[in-house]
Amino acid sequence: MAFFNKVLPNGLTVLVEEMDHVASVSYEFSVPGGFIADADDRLGQAVLLADVLCKGAGQYDSRQLSNEFDQYGIRHGEGCGLDRFTLAGSAVGANYKKGLALTSSMIRAPQIPHDDIGALKSILLQDLASLRDNPARRAMVELSRRFHPAPFNRTSLGSQEGIDKTDREQLTSLHSRYFRPQGSIVSVAGNVKAQEVFDIVEELFEDWAGEAPAPVDYGLEPREEYYHIDDDSAQLQIVMANRSVPFGAPLYYEGKLVASLLGSSMFGRLFMEVREKRGLCYSVYARHGSRKEYGTITAYVGTTADRAQESLDVMLGEFRRLRGSIEDFELERARTNLKASLIMGEEAPASRASSNASDWWLLSRVRPLTEIHDAIDRVSIESIESFLEQYPFMPCSILTLGSKRLEVDGDVVATEVTE
Amino acid sequence: MTQEFKTETLKNGLKIIAEVNPANVTSTIGFFVKTGARDEQSEESGVSHFLEHMMFKGTATRSALDINMQLGTLGAHANAFTSEENTVYYSAVIPEKFSEMQELLSDMLRPSFDPKEFDTEKKVILEEIALYQDRPHFYLIEQASRDYFGSNPLGNSVLGTVDSVSAISREQMIDYFNRRYAPSNITLVATGNVCWDAFLEKAKELCGDWVDRSVDREFISHTNPAVSRTFLKPQLAQGHAYLLSSGPSAQDEDRYPMAILATILGEVAGSSLYWDLVHTGLAESASVDVDERDGSGCMGMYVCCPQDRLDQVIGVARKVVSTPTAFSDDDLDRAKAKVMSRVVMDGELPMGRLMSLGMEWTYRKTSTPLQAKLDRIKMISKKDIERAVERFPLQEWSEYRLVSG
Repeated sequence: MAFFNKVLPNGLTVLVEEMDHVASVSYEFSVPGGFIADADDRLGQAVLLADVLCKGAGQYDSRQLSNEFDQYGIRHGEGCGLDRFTLAGSAVGANYKKGLALTSSMIRAPQIPHDDIGALKSILLQDLASLRDNPARRAMVELSRRFHPAPFNRTSLGSQEGIDKTDREQLTSLHSRYFRPQGSIVSVAGNVKAQEVFDIVEELFEDWAGEAPAPVDYGLEPREEYYHIDDDSAQLQIVMANRSVPFGAPLYYEGKLVASLLGSSMFGRLFMEVREKRGLCYSVYARHGSRKEYGTITAYVGTTADRAQESLDVMLGEFRRLRGSIEDFELERARTNLKASLIMGEEAPASRASSNASDWWLLSRVRPLTEIHDAIDRVSIESIESFLEQYPFMPCSILTLGSKRLEVDGDVVATEVTE
Repeated sequence: MTQEFKTETLKNGLKIIAEVNPANVTSTIGFFVKTGARDEQSEESGVSHFLEHMMFKGTATRSALDINMQLGTLGAHANAFTSEENTVYYSAVIPEKFSEMQELLSDMLRPSFDPKEFDTEKKVILEEIALYQDRPHFYLIEQASRDYFGSNPLGNSVLGTVDSVSAISREQMIDYFNRRYAPSNITLVATGNVCWDAFLEKAKELCGDWVDRSVDREFISHTNPAVSRTFLKPQLAQGHAYLLSSGPSAQDEDRYPMAILATILGEVAGSSLYWDLVHTGLAESASVDVDERDGSGCMGMYVCCPQDRLDQVIGVARKVVSTPTAFSDDDLDRAKAKVMSRVVMDGELPMGRLMSLGMEWTYRKTSTPLQAKLDRIKMISKKDIERAVERFPLQEWSEYRLVSG
């Protein structure tokens, strides 16, 4: 495998990873924007913009565009994240060229047809309504909404008010402000030659110009509060959040590894203590998520109400005893698993295209696998202790959703919020 | 890519197959056991799935903790699943860890049924049942299948109920294991960067002394008149409907044309249902699938939309599938292109090939190279689909709804 990159004069970055052992090619465009681009009273517009891109572009109307993708067997998907739009596709062999051309039309010349916007709003409102039918997702959304400062607390659901207010003019305006080459990335991986990709992308995008508005600052304000939402679900959902290290910052790999040894869904301490030893739940985990501006450790357990207090107490007990208790074999196991995940990700073109795009988005470079392996190897118990000193798991923010409010000690949360 | 297909049957009946590709950076291994909910007696409902969990809970030489620790140190992506008629244990590892993974997984397939672990794991299963109670889509499909198949074991629940799982004893589970986990009812598969000779030798050494016995599966033909039923769940926001009709079995050659037809009618995007229901904003999702099973099969149609729109949405969906062959040559070509592309992309990863090979052998005692599968799809004509629709006309649907109440 070999990696190449090139920045076009208009600022569009092209990343290519040549993979000889596969037959397919995947690509992913990242364009600055996302939920944080929405005005406060227009939440949901960025998601609607991502959804409307496939409803006609360039010379093709909605159905013709869909037929073109299908005829070449190209899987495609357009989405909206917190701070970027993504347009991805996968195809067999040379069909990827058609995929890049069709996607360039969606980026540069979407029709944004007025007649389709009502239907897209209806679907998004249905998604918003169905949050009530998915307690685990709802608990995470509700905690994120309270834990992160605006606008980083937004989700793909938007708001009823924002969705209702959206019209074609606003979507067109959002598109013209954000869909610009400066800061955008196209990442291609699979059975391709880099020069061929560079030539195609240049032809499709050389006369594209402009720069998207600068993103807003995070403005970190960690909250240590307990929230409870009454719900009649079969299980009680318990979610917790605490701040962690930003992507690529010093102690980043320490954060990843400590989250793994604590919260891996197969061998982490939480899995062993809450599920394996006590049989208190089916699903329990902790994860490390990170962005340019900040990182977050999130933990989850879903359990029936009469076992919820014990589940929470066991989890908090594990958080409390973390410092000073990590053993060599745990670190080694977490290290092995993180490396294995990297190796397994190497095989799939879609995973490589996406991972290279993320690296460039967050670091303005792609980390060679050897660099990641070396960084993982350098993590020691001492450096993990430094991480825990800077980012202790306690106190933290907790949200429960279900039929019962739980008892939370004063050392865990500063405030209890009743809703 | 140089791929090599290998196969061998041990004296005790254990079938071993491998598709070796040295260009891959990972190796996969899986035990495919031909057993699931449909093979359970009514008083042991949920035992197949509970047993799958117990495979991770200790053997004659390893405790549950040992298994967990070893999986962790192998860096293995290991998991298992149970369906109505299959139980599969699988893992992906880097090639140098393959042999150790094979040894561990083979040992896990002979569990010790530790009584303490049995009691603890039963609580985990009860939590899993509660978890799925909170997922309306899953809840509806389970209720619908149970009603559609009636007393036929094809409608048995994979998870079982709180009552049935609570009542399962360790002795019942051991009895089920002895009845169903005979080597001749299991296929051992490996794909990716694997050394065939070493894999086979180790399989002989680790599994060669598993004692075989005859394993049967009951086949009861299933016909029932179309029915309509509504299930209720409190405080539901969206309405759901699942419709069932007869379809091809996993051994039926018409499964190919019916799969292409399902793509034309009800693929998540770009299908007839998509344009009439999702593109118009009437429904959040709409799809048609072929549910191929051993000696039996059905076609399923699912929609999710606001509850006050369910009548309208189901009406549109029924109308779309009432003229199943009213598609153009271009529609057919596009559906074939989509399916072929999916087959290639799923097939270029060792895990994709593992599942495909294991399931194919379990159902049809054969293995089809990727290219032959693509050629078969390419050949499908409109006439093939029309002929298949004569057998599976998609006119009589049993309809199940889930709404708030």
